This record gives sequence, structure tokens and C-alpha cells, in this order.
Amino acid sequence: RNEGRVLAVPAARQAARELGLDLAAVRGSGPNGRIRVADVLAAAQGAEGG
Amino acid sequence: MTNNFDYDVLVIGAGPGGYHAAIRAAQLGLKTACVERGAVGGVCLNIGCIPTKALLHAAEMVHASHRAAEFGLTFADTNLNIAKLNGWKDGIVKKLTGGVSGLFKANKVTLLTGQASFVDDHTVSVDGKNYTAAHFIIATGSDPAKLPGLDVDQDSIVDSTGALVMPDPVPARMLCVGGGVIGFEFAQVYNNLGSKVKIIEFLPSVIPGADADAVKEFAKVMSKQGIEIVTQMKANRAEKKADGVHVELENVKTGEKTTEVFDRVLVAVGRRPRTDGLNAEKAGVTVTERGFIPADKQQRTNVPHIFSIGDVASNPMLAHKAMKEGLVAAEVIAGKPAEQDAVAIPGVVYTSPELAWVGLTEQEAKDKGYEVKTGVFPMSASGRAMTLQSTDGFVKMVVEKDTDLLLGVHIVAPHASDMLAEAGLALEMAATATDISLTIHAHPTLGESMLEAAEAAHKQAIHIVNR
Repeated sequence: RNEGRVLAVPAARQAARELGLDLAAVRGSGPNGRIRVADVLAAAQGAEGG
Repeated sequence: MTNNFDYDVLVIGAGPGGYHAAIRAAQLGLKTACVERGAVGGVCLNIGCIPTKALLHAAEMVHASHRAAEFGLTFADTNLNIAKLNGWKDGIVKKLTGGVSGLFKANKVTLLTGQASFVDDHTVSVDGKNYTAAHFIIATGSDPAKLPGLDVDQDSIVDSTGALVMPDPVPARMLCVGGGVIGFEFAQVYNNLGSKVKIIEFLPSVIPGADADAVKEFAKVMSKQGIEIVTQMKANRAEKKADGVHVELENVKTGEKTTEVFDRVLVAVGRRPRTDGLNAEKAGVTVTERGFIPADKQQRTNVPHIFSIGDVASNPMLAHKAMKEGLVAAEVIAGKPAEQDAVAIPGVVYTSPELAWVGLTEQEAKDKGYEVKTGVFPMSASGRAMTLQSTDGFVKMVVEKDTDLLLGVHIVAPHASDMLAEAGLALEMAATATDISLTIHAHPTLGESMLEAAEAAHKQAIHIVNR
């Protein structure tokens, strides 16, 4: 990816900040790997559970 | 918050950034004060965005009254009362600044009037009285940049503030020094009201930073309207004489000098951050050589409890950027994990037609390493544009070739600023050109030009021949 931009919708970016997650480590389920709020929540649960 | 300070947050400046910061801080339960030495609402409301847009609208109405003859509407006499125009514009400003004062009261934000100066990193004095706060948000804004040799008297040589007061009679010959957003907006106001207007720009292109194709189209349309545009030209000095202001112009390439006479000269060569009287160094806050008070993504300065937002923090100097930064600073102070993470900040020239853009220009995208495709839809193919007598311009979309990801949108069209909202959301949502082309847009509207530009990027627009 050029300029290293992580594709995430604004609400997902906010959710990641609130949960203290690095967006770059979240797997996006949307088109082109776009990160959605559900992806952030799943990653957070995974982090806690794991 | 519990502490021994007078306030949790003290905001310095009540412009777009400052009042957003103050209101959001109060909404989040912080005890907030806002210091303003001039008028509430700052540059944008008082001597910027709002009054220029009022003048642009009035000037466009005058222009439209002439063009109405095309469809059979003629006026026996069009007569513009300049005093009434100035009064109407001032009335809008008054109403909006009153609105901000009302919002302060409703949100329990204390307004302190006077010049704020830091005494130490937790104290400012406002006209001699000291106030302490746990956090400060510096939102002091910017002032018009000066040009040596051209002394602004706000009469025949004006900056953007002076240009807002339309003289009676309207000046016959007008020079705009600086081919940026402010220069073009005033150029069109004066042009539509009857001035013969010339714009000079030092750089090889006007509206630096905008997409080259869009700027080319925009300049073509402005020229067609009668505004003379000369690039790579500078103004060395201006002298007031009985027959007008004599301005020495110099061709930057050839060094050739000529003197031309104008009735009004606008100096619009940029803006400078404003930190005079602030005594930021007493709080240990870094001020750069150019006068900026830099901040990180949370809008924090080098002093962690002091924040900086808006024009004084960084370019671009735009009201909507300041507003967002104000919200971020207030939310961070309230303990929220906010940051300035916008993918793109839109830019607009509010002429008719407007030039508006958001995201990367084609050149910026290439410079960043993207392989790009573009889709262009001309307004001449828009049914809605024809019904509005405004078929100049286009929508240009810059798209990443393989992924179809939208990178930037550049528009020359009436209401381009409003069309831009869809483009901005698309960029924030990481939309592809396909997402836009699959969205049903109302017909007939100007906004459906977005859909057709996206289709054009795939070489399957319906209303133009795809090449």
C-alpha cells in the first residue's frame, strides 16, 4: 500500500483509539481490507481472550 | 475535574477553533472560559468566510440578473444600493456572532474580554487581571500577510478586511495581488459589481495546491467572465496619486517593469499566524520562526497541558480544520482518546462556479507512488447544470488503478462546495469509485456528476462518450 494508509472508517478509528488498539494490527473485513467497527471489536475481544 | 485553578480549561481566542473548543469542553463537564480581545466569532465570522460569502452571493445575483435575459427575463433597471449591501452583510455577521455569544451562555462558557498574556504555564493575565487554569487552548488565529512597498490603508490599498467594505462608487480599476482563494473571491465580487479586475500571482500557477487540471479549467472560466489573470508577476510598490494608485509591476521571468494605475488594490498574499501579545515563551511554549505554535495529533504543544489549534497551529488555514482541532483538544483534555485523524481536509473557492477539492491531486497521488486512473465528467453534459445556466467546469476523480480506491475529487461547478461533502465522506469511508457509481444519485442534480465521474473512471459513463 502506498503512503502506508490503513483503510478504516472514522468510527472504527475512534473505536480503536478507545480500546487502545493499533489499527495496523486489525484485520479488515471490508473491501480492500477496509476496517469496520466490528473488526476492531473482534480484534479487541481476541486480544483479551488470547 | 477538581483542582485549585480558576478554570479547567481556558481557551484563548473565540474564532471557529476557539468557540468549538470552549463549547465542547463545557459539554464534557469542564469549567471553561474563553478569552477574546476582539469580536466573538473571530476572523471567519467577522472579517472572513461569512461576510465574503454574503458579498459573493449578492454579486452573483447582479451577474445572474444580466444573464436572465437569455431566458427572457429582463429588468428595466438594475440598481445596487451599496450602503444597503454593506448593511445587509454586517447584519448577517451580527446575527451569527450573537449566536455564538448565546451558545456560550447556554453552555456556561465564561467569556473574558481582553488581550490574554501568559504569566506562567498555568496563568494568563487578561488586561491586568490574572486567571489560572489547568489547561490552555491557544486559538489566536492569523492576520493578513504584509507586502513591503504596499502599505495597507484600508481605503485605496486594502487587505481582505478592507476589501469587505464595498466603496461607493465601486472602483473602476481593481488589482488583486495574490492569485489564491481570497484574491479570486474578491476578484469576482468586484468584477460582477462592475470593476475591471486584474489578478497577479507570483507563482507560475494560481490557487497553489489545487489540482492542475482543475486550476486550468477554473482560470479559463474566470478569464471568460472578464477577470484578467497574470502569473509570474509581482507588485514592487504602490504610490497614491490624484488619478489613482500607481503600482509598479514586475515580470518575475524577464525582470521587465511596468507601472499601472488602479482605483483599489487588494493585498492577498497569504496569512501569518498571530501570537503578538501572547507571551507564549513565559509558559515555555515553542513558537517557530514563522510564528506558528506547532501541535501533535492531539493538538498538544511542547507543554503537555497547553494545546494549540487552528491557523496559529498549522496550515492549511481553514475554519473547518480549526473547528475539528478545537473539538479534538477539548476531548483530549476531558480524557477522551481523540485525535486529528482526518483523511483529507476540503478546500473551496466560493466563486461562481466554485472550485472545490478534497484528497490528493493527480500529481500528489503520483508523487506518493500511486498508479492512478482518472474520471472526468464535464458540467456541459449535465442536464441540471444547463437548467442553471452554468455548464462550465467538471468533476474530476483521482482513483488508484488496481484497487479502485478513491484518492481525491476536484470540482469546478456551481455548488461544488456542497457536492464535496459526498466526496469527503467517501474518502473517510475508504470508498472505491465503484461504491460511488453504485450509489443512486437523484436526477437531475449537480451531485450526480459525482456518479458519472466515477463511471468515467471505469470508461462507462452514460452521458459522455468514453475515451
